[in-house]
Amino acid sequence: MRNIAVTALIVYFSIFMVYPIYKAFAGSLHEWNPLVGTYNWVGLDNFKSVLSDGLFWKSLWNTAYFSVFSIVFRIILGLGLALLLSSRLVKAKDSLRGLFYMPTITPLVAVSFVWMWMFDPQFGMINKVTGLDINWLNDSHWALPAIIIMTIWKDFGYATVLYLAGLMNLPRDVYEAAQIDGANSWQTFWRITLPLLKPTTLFIVITSLITYVQAYVQILVMTEGGPGTQTYTISYLIFDQAFQKYDFGTASAMSVILFAITGVLTILMFRASGDMEQS
Amino acid sequence: MNLKRCVAACIATLSIISLAACGGGSGTSSGVTDTKTDKGLKVLGQNVTYDPNHLVNDGKPISVDYWTWGDKSTDPVFSLIKDYEKIYPNVKINVVTVTWDDYWTKLPLALKGKNGPALFNVHNSQDALLRPYLANYDIPIKDLEADYTNVNTHEVDGKVAYIDSVINTGNIYYNKTMWKEAGLSDSDIPKTWDQLVAVAKKLTKFNGSKMVQAGFNINGDSTYDALWQGLNYQKGELMFNKAGTKGNYDNAVTKENLQFLKDLYDKDKVGATNFGDDATQSFGNAQTAMVYRWGWMEGTMKEKYPDVDYGVFPTPTFTEETPFAYDRYNGESTAGINKNQSEEQQKVAQDFIKYMLANDDYQRYAVKALNSFPAKKSMQDDATILSNPVMAAIKPRIDRLIWPGPAPSTMETSPKQAFQNVFQNGTSISKAVSDAQAQIEKDMKSGSFTSLESKYAFYDEAAAKQ
Repeated sequence: MRNIAVTALIVYFSIFMVYPIYKAFAGSLHEWNPLVGTYNWVGLDNFKSVLSDGLFWKSLWNTAYFSVFSIVFRIILGLGLALLLSSRLVKAKDSLRGLFYMPTITPLVAVSFVWMWMFDPQFGMINKVTGLDINWLNDSHWALPAIIIMTIWKDFGYATVLYLAGLMNLPRDVYEAAQIDGANSWQTFWRITLPLLKPTTLFIVITSLITYVQAYVQILVMTEGGPGTQTYTISYLIFDQAFQKYDFGTASAMSVILFAITGVLTILMFRASGDMEQS
Repeated sequence: MNLKRCVAACIATLSIISLAACGGGSGTSSGVTDTKTDKGLKVLGQNVTYDPNHLVNDGKPISVDYWTWGDKSTDPVFSLIKDYEKIYPNVKINVVTVTWDDYWTKLPLALKGKNGPALFNVHNSQDALLRPYLANYDIPIKDLEADYTNVNTHEVDGKVAYIDSVINTGNIYYNKTMWKEAGLSDSDIPKTWDQLVAVAKKLTKFNGSKMVQAGFNINGDSTYDALWQGLNYQKGELMFNKAGTKGNYDNAVTKENLQFLKDLYDKDKVGATNFGDDATQSFGNAQTAMVYRWGWMEGTMKEKYPDVDYGVFPTPTFTEETPFAYDRYNGESTAGINKNQSEEQQKVAQDFIKYMLANDDYQRYAVKALNSFPAKKSMQDDATILSNPVMAAIKPRIDRLIWPGPAPSTMETSPKQAFQNVFQNGTSISKAVSDAQAQIEKDMKSGSFTSLESKYAFYDEAAAKQ
């Protein structure tokens, strides 16, 4: 039985993981359109073309902007709510925890559509409630922040649940020692809770980073990269290049670059975390 | 590795392979056999004719697949399949619906193999993608040309693999209630853009400085990306260069027309960038008096905004003289036949196509489902069809509508970005147009598109200017 399971897993990963990754690497070196069967060797031309494309760099910048703000606010909100939910101030903890987690398990496409209506400049709830007059998704300054707001709302519940689990597992004796030493609440949080939650924070940062550099569904539904190219992220650009323009070669080259960037960032984060542990 | 392990590995591999191999396929059906050659039906058609009194597939049961992105209400082939299956009970045509977004990746991959659908819905914008898999129609081209308009634009080496079933173009949709409230009548229907601006001003309402009703709204998709081509054609500016291989977007006419549209908002104040983000929705919610839309708008209005009392008039021109072309048109395509399918399947598909093209009912179904003008010449004066206001608006202009061929999508997406850059991002018209041109050239670099503008009857009028 074990052998069957292992073989099935190996076959599964080979077909659905290893082969596609290999194909993307190989495809990045070709002029490639699988839909009509074009597959011509072009060497590094796709990479040269990508690296000299202004839209690629703009998309990369937008991805960084999107990821940094989404991750920072996901962590701040997630941690804040986890602390609140684990305190004695709040009752009905389980219900609230479930409530905050609900957006995380709601399909992103559905959430994006609902938020699109909420951002509508004429009928949308956001402008009605805030009294603002902003054409959120069609304004070059507000389109990307609007998508970030939606993403944070959808995802902070995930961080809350992870932080709650982290908080429950913190050693009580450290807190007792701090209390005896006369540490106030802020000192306890800053010197004990936060450092002890570092593995949880690191896990959230890395998983969020991997998720956010691949973000394109909300862009596709809410703005299609617009206005102009203001909300193009790297994954949306890859989608556009492959499935709108059928230029799979260039899209593969972009994917390889994205793969390298994500890999390097993850390694750097693990290293930084390791260094901090040692110090 | 011992024997047990080998067997286990083989079972697992075979299970996965068999799972992957599972899938539907068309072929011989276990249905009824047809023995009745004489159906007692008349021969259909004028030049392309179809005699239904024969057996299909020698009367033996057969099942073929038809792939489409449409449904009963938007794809006329649904109704025709029913009619065909009634005549030939041994033939079963299975309709497989795939959403538009998935259609253009799933269909070519299916057509690459031997079990792809024998028949499939075609959109001419995806010609390059489908062309390698299309079988030519087994109908003499002279017969098709005698019955249908614009057949020559689909001709490759004297054959066609699909033609236009119905054709469509843009018109102005206006809210009749607002029209009356503004004291306007049928005599105020504008013929020129200046007249439209004057009317739009009367139809625009403000509450203090806040616009509450737009006279003419171009916000969102489906206006500029379609309208820029029409505006340029009206002034005799072609979409592609003389060789037909390079997009012609960055030119003085494009800039002039984009400035004209910008002035509608900035100077004439008949609309505003922040007045909603979707002109269709705004028109449907009775906040906008006029929009430029293609035939699909009829269906949208019927389905989503049935209470709005609206009319349709032809898109204005810059002067009252006959322009080089009133607008671009686009044809809805007849179904394609898969050349990789078996001979038996292709024969049935060819028979079905002939039935489709000879049958006037197909045109009626198509006009109704797609709100488009019949491409079949014998149907172009049909009183019932012309009672539809969209058809009535298209009819007098039919000869002066131009089709540039299955233009690459960048000819719509790049100008759309230029429009957004000018209207929403504050980019100058020159820069936005030049950036879009660069994008168009980049996107078209590896393609093999050649424009069909030269096949337009009045092409020389514009070519002389270039």
